[in-house]
Parts: sequence; C-alpha cells; structure tokens
Amino acid sequence: MMKVKKNKKLLAILLTTVMSLAALTGCGESPVESETGSESQVSATAEAPAATESASQEEVTINFWHHYSAQSAENETLMNVLIPEFEKENPGIKVNAVSHEWADLHQKILISAQSNTLPDVARLDSAWVPEFEKMGILTALDEEMSDFNDVSGGLLESAMSTAKVDGHFYGLALNTNTKILFYNVQAFKDAGIEAPKTMDEFVDAAKKLAGTNANGQQVWGYDEPALAGWNLCPFIWSMGGSITNEEETKASGYINSPETVKAIETLAELYQAGAITGWNAGDIPMTDGFGTGRYMMLLEGPWKVAEMQGSYPDFEYATTEMPAGDAGSISVLGGEDIAMFNSANKDAAWKFMKFMTSEFAEEEMAKCGQIPVNKEALESDTVKAADYAPFLEAIKTAKSRPTVACWSEMDSELSVAVTDVMNGKKTAQEAMDKLAERFDELLAE
Amino acid sequence: MKTSRKSKIQIGLLLLPGLLVFGIFTIYPILKLFIMSFFEWDFGSMLSHRFIGLENYKEVLGDEYFRTVFINSLVYTLVTVPGQMLAGFLVALLLNQITRFKVGYRVLYYLPVITSWVVASLIFKYVFNTEGLLNYFLMNIVHITSANVRWLDTRWGGMTVAMLLGIWKGIGWNMVVFLAALQTVPTDLYEAAAIDGATAWDKMWNVTIPSIRGTILFALVMLTIGGFNVFTSIKMITGGEPGHQTDVILTWMYHKAFSTGKFGYAAALSFITTVVLAILAVIQFKLMQQKDQ
Repeated sequence: MMKVKKNKKLLAILLTTVMSLAALTGCGESPVESETGSESQVSATAEAPAATESASQEEVTINFWHHYSAQSAENETLMNVLIPEFEKENPGIKVNAVSHEWADLHQKILISAQSNTLPDVARLDSAWVPEFEKMGILTALDEEMSDFNDVSGGLLESAMSTAKVDGHFYGLALNTNTKILFYNVQAFKDAGIEAPKTMDEFVDAAKKLAGTNANGQQVWGYDEPALAGWNLCPFIWSMGGSITNEEETKASGYINSPETVKAIETLAELYQAGAITGWNAGDIPMTDGFGTGRYMMLLEGPWKVAEMQGSYPDFEYATTEMPAGDAGSISVLGGEDIAMFNSANKDAAWKFMKFMTSEFAEEEMAKCGQIPVNKEALESDTVKAADYAPFLEAIKTAKSRPTVACWSEMDSELSVAVTDVMNGKKTAQEAMDKLAERFDELLAE
Repeated sequence: MKTSRKSKIQIGLLLLPGLLVFGIFTIYPILKLFIMSFFEWDFGSMLSHRFIGLENYKEVLGDEYFRTVFINSLVYTLVTVPGQMLAGFLVALLLNQITRFKVGYRVLYYLPVITSWVVASLIFKYVFNTEGLLNYFLMNIVHITSANVRWLDTRWGGMTVAMLLGIWKGIGWNMVVFLAALQTVPTDLYEAAAIDGATAWDKMWNVTIPSIRGTILFALVMLTIGGFNVFTSIKMITGGEPGHQTDVILTWMYHKAFSTGKFGYAAALSFITTVVLAILAVIQFKLMQQKDQ
C-alpha cells in the first residue's frame, strides 16, 4: 500500500516536471523565422522548418518587415494587390508581410540581429541603412546581384544615394519624400500677408500670425514637433549651414559655423517670442493644432495631405516650398529603402525587391500617397494626376541627412543641445561648439 | 532526522521546475548582463564583441546624463515611497475603524492599482497638458491663472506629474498591505494600553507601529525597488523631454540600448542600478533590525 502511494507521488512529480519543461520549450520558438532561411537560421531556430520543407518541396516563404501602418491604405494595397500579384508571377514563393510601428521596427531589427531571427527583406527608413550596414547584417546588392545595375538604373539617383555606404549599395530606393511648407490660408488672408518665399518673410509671418485668437486662445505662427535633424536640417541648410563636411568625417567648423548658429538662433528667438512651439511634452499635437487653427504653418511631407483629408476635410490650407535662405530652399530628403539581410533566401528576396520597385508596384503605391522612385512610374498618369508636383519640385534641391552609422546618436545629441538653446540655458554658439566636439568624437569612432 | 536518499531525490524533483524557471529567466540574464557590461557591444561590433574591461562603467559614471537620470530616479523614489506609504497607511487606519461600506471603500481605493499604467499615464498627460484639463479649470472656471501653465515642459514639472501619478497609483496597494497588518495587531494590547492611560497617539506609536514593523519594512523594500524601476509613466508622460532632463534610469537605459544601440553601456548601467538597489535593501534591513534591539 505504502509503496503504491509513493510511486504515485513520484509519478506526479515527474509529470509536473515534464509539463513545465514542455511549457518552457514553447517559449523558445521565435514567432518569425525564415522557413527556408540560411543554415545559421535553421540551426538557431530548431527543427520547425523541416516539416514545412518536406511538405511542399519547392515552396519558399520570405518574411518581409515594413512600417506601413496596419490600418493604412498602403498596407491594404500591399496585402491585397501587390503580394497576390507577386505570388502569381512567382509560383513557389510566398510572402509573409509583418507590419511594425516605425520606432518598433528599428528596435526589432536590433534585437533580431542579436538572436539570428532577422526577416529576409525589410523596408527601412533610409536613415537606418548606414547603421545596419555597420552591423554587417545587410547584403551588398551591387556585389551579389548580377543584374543590379539594370535595376538601379531605373530608379532615381538621388533616392538611390541613400542606400549607398562606402561605395556599395545595400538596398534599393523604394519611395521618397521631402517636406514643404503647409499654411493656413484664412489666417494669412486675415493678417494681410502672402505665403513666405524667403527666410526673412517666414520669420515675419511667424511673428505676425502668433498671438491670441478670437476665443482668447494662444496661437503660434509655426509648429515644429521635435528638434531632431529631420526638423532642423531644412533651416540649417537653407541658411547656408551644415552638419558635417562633405565627406561626413568632421563636424567642427560645420555644426558650429556662423551660418548654422544663425539658423538655431533664429528658431530660438522665434520660440522666445512665442511665435513657434510644438516640441514640448505638453504641446498640442501637430495635425490637431494645424486643423484647429492654433498652428498657422508646418513643414511636412506628402502624408499630411491624406491626414488632413481624414481628420479635417473642410480645413483650407495651401502649400509652398521651404522658404529660401542665403543658400536657397533646401528641404530634407526622407524616404524608404528596401533591403535584404545576409541571412535571407537571396534569390527569392531579390525577386521580391525587384517587384516592389517595379513600375506596377510603385504606381499602385503612388495611389496611396507614396512618391515613387521608379522613373517609369514617375511618368505614369497616376503620378501626374496626384498632387505631388510641389514635392517633386522640392526633391530636386533636397538633401539627405548624414549617411553615417552613428547618426542615431548624433541626432539625439543634436536635439538635446538645441533644446538647451531654446530654453535659454546656453547660447547657440556655446551649445554648437560643445556639440561639434561630441560629433567629432562620434565620427572618429 | 536524516533525510533519506529517496526523499532527497523527491525534494530535488519538486524543486526542479521552480529552479529551472528561476535559472533560465533570472540567473542566466543577470550573468549574461554582467558579462555584456565588460564588452564593447554595439553597432559595428554586434557580431564580434571586444573585451574592454571597465570602459563601459567609466563611460556611465562619467556621463552627465547618468547623473541627471540617477538624481531623477532617486528623487522619484524619495518622494513617492514615503508619499504612498503614508497615504496608504492613513487610508488603512480609517478603513480599519469604519464598519459600514468597508468593501466599497476598499474597492474604490484599490481601483487605481488595477488600472493599466499606460491608460493612467495618458489620462495624467491629458490633465496636465498645456492645453489640458487642469489649465482649463484654473483659467476658465476658477480664474486663478491668466495664461496656461506649462506643467510638463520643465524637468521638475514633468517629474512632479509622474510622481503624483506614482503616489496616486500606489495608495491602494499600501492600503491593502497595511490593512492586513493592522488586523493582525491583537486587541488586548490596545486594551492594556488603555488601562495604562495611553492616548490614541501613544497607542499608535507604541502599539500599532511596532506591531506592524515587519510589514513596513516589506513595503519599504518593495517600493524602493519599484521606485527605481519606474518606466511607463515617464515614457508616456514626458518621453524624457526636454532633452533627456526627465529621463529616469530605465528610460535612459532603454534609449541607450534600443535607440542608439549601446548595449554594453546599457548593461553596465543596469548592473550599477542592481548594485545600488542591493545596497539600499541591506541598509533598510539593518536599520529595522537596530530598532528591534
């Protein structure tokens, strides 16, 4: 009797142990993995892929990470038009597309690189390409793909330059964008002024439009939602300043040049005069502030058109180019590249990348507000009918932010330094001199 | 009594699941973190890590941001821990006295605890925004101020809002813990004290507090650790703005690791925090023991 009881106990213990172990192994499997990934991936992610491979011999699945918002028209087009078309044209290749938030995607890739669970292909903010290249996880397309030159020749050179690091191309340009000036038409009429063409006119307009409205609420002439490179570069460049030298190896004498300092001072004076705001934690969000007549001007990209259409369809606004300073009207180049990781199924991934940058795919995406980089798509009726003209014009003079691996860190330091200037803690000269030293250190690393 | 071999095996098997979970999810990450903190572990070296000794620690300790975020975390802890303990204790005392609607009040005070941090943070942000509810109330209803106050836009303004949220959210947990402790204090102690002519104040200092000292210590240690681990509220309310002035240790670590890719720096920072927390816990235990003697 005793013995039986004891054995039962032991059995129960063993069962508990086994069950908890089973639960643990469940956690070990990564949610996204390339099913026919390279050897390193297969070995890293256990035996799961083997089953799929034997079930359908030829079929490969490539994982594609992107940051089209899950609810957006772009994602609809991707899931319902582009991927079905690609799978029809390329039998045997399946695409598993996963949507991430913009900031999450950057982090996800960092983390996945550590654990060998990268996807095959990803749509990357062009500012990330140098970082990921330095990590050694991106494939040099011009070295590995024999038809690379044919493909890249069909895409805009300025956009392709964002994928070029140290003489090699680590991605294909996918779409491009830049910022232009949006302004509140009624407010300009009421104030009796014209849309600003030069930086001096812009400063005057921002001051004139600021104050209080009929309801006694404070209004601002201009809104800038953050103080990072994306926000500051158009002002710095248009006023003749720069972040680094041409070779992107040195910042002293550039980020603290009289022109750059002047640009920062101009913005700080406007802020202290109550004419601009937007980057503080307590400020009104950009679209709402513009749509409700609290911010009179913005510098924004093509997506703002759709956003305003969705949230404030009756609001009357117009656009014009970035106000010109001593160096002309120079906006900041944004946009995305599509790149493959070293662990990818390269043949299938390359086919998908070529498809995504093809005239067909680019034209479909243009219908949802993505400015194409495919030269043929740019000539299409869709693009001509869309209201891209002011953006296409601005792209001709727009510049891209420094393509260096330490850009994330430089960007973060830049916004800290300029925040201090805005809050009157430092003069623009002091802050930029200190920043120049720090940038030089980062660039030398 | 000697433990037989068989029951040793039994004990081992019983402990195995727990030890495995503890080992894989607690011990292993800490060891890995400790190792990472001695390597150059960032972009460019992610695939081949270089041993750099104490460089990461030097960088952390010499960093002016580290001083800012450490002071922020320290102030947050020094304010919110006594704040919520005191408030929670007072509420527990009151609830211990009343006889009607006991459950209803307990639920009310406990509700903030079960509210999501994200939701609560967003509501606090909405209240304290420059265009928020509080400014509307002050300016347009009670007419105390003539312009919007920028609550969230300065270092200590933003920190104060986060600390208020921390205290508001912590009262319920402290109430439950202290209420449970208060109910274990034997009533005959109070009766004896009453016979000796003790006032309510005397009873509080000489009966109640000494009887629940264990609970106070427990709450103090848990809340101190919690205070240094504050993350969600800061991230949601100020996001570290202006210029990382309101970042705390964890939000700064997150920024360093996942926005700029400095995993080695972040690991060293975590390890320093762990050591500081361990030292604080030991000091707290020692202090309470001294009172015991």
